[in-house]
Amino acid sequence: MFFGIFILVASLPFGCATGPQFSMVQPNMVSESPDEGRIFFYRTSALGAAIKPAVMLNGEKVGKAIAKGFFFVDRPAGDYEVVTSTEVKRKVSFVLEKGQTRFIKFNVSMGFFAGHVYGELVDESVGMSEIVNCKYTGGDTS
Amino acid sequence: MARLKNRISFVLLVGVAFVAGGCAFDLAHVSFEPTQFVQPLDHCKTFVVANDVPIDAPCNYDRLLRKGSSWKLVGTIPKGEVYKPLDQVLTVECSNIFEAYLVVSEGHMVGFYLPVEKGFVPLSKGIELPME
Repeated sequence: MFFGIFILVASLPFGCATGPQFSMVQPNMVSESPDEGRIFFYRTSALGAAIKPAVMLNGEKVGKAIAKGFFFVDRPAGDYEVVTSTEVKRKVSFVLEKGQTRFIKFNVSMGFFAGHVYGELVDESVGMSEIVNCKYTGGDTS
Repeated sequence: MARLKNRISFVLLVGVAFVAGGCAFDLAHVSFEPTQFVQPLDHCKTFVVANDVPIDAPCNYDRLLRKGSSWKLVGTIPKGEVYKPLDQVLTVECSNIFEAYLVVSEGHMVGFYLPVEKGFVPLSKGIELPME
């Protein structure tokens, strides 16, 4: 009973991003610095919206994985790991090149007590088409 | 009686939470072997996949090399040449997800190269690549 209520509450869409729509922000898709690349983070699903894990990029908190939200960071070319921690800690590793744009999509899977939010590296075409329905969260690091 | 049952259920649930809290959920790992990566002499070598190529990747997360996708030589390792995708993302996934490149030897895909981990993930059986 308790478990069922918890799952139900965690699945409700409160806790979704409230910022401006991607189309209103219209961010550049590439970094303005020629030595850097741009990484977009986004989460399309409202499932488990109450769960908003911190997003760690090479150990640095760069934002939160908020349902229906997106943010981006610019970083020098190199190797990167994105880690989200809920019940479990999951990571995605990838290479970022100068002038490159990468998309990390956050998915939700069922967990023991709560959903697991984990990052996935997706094709640029997929990221571009899916991120338009998300709202800017501004890389909230609080 | 019903109240007692509810209490017992709740205590059991809390007990399981304590036990499970100490468990490692990260159960499935990608097995890779560290390898030596050498930059290529020929930076222009590419190929195009002529037909869709399904791959039995580790942990049953199957992958597809898409028909028409382009692959560029970026280096060599002892197991073969390493090709990076130019127009699709390739990853190897278990509990964690790793960006991956193709390792090709004599026209066959023999495994994945993980550029961040600098490791080689072998396939159980080589796959012939239809190249253009």
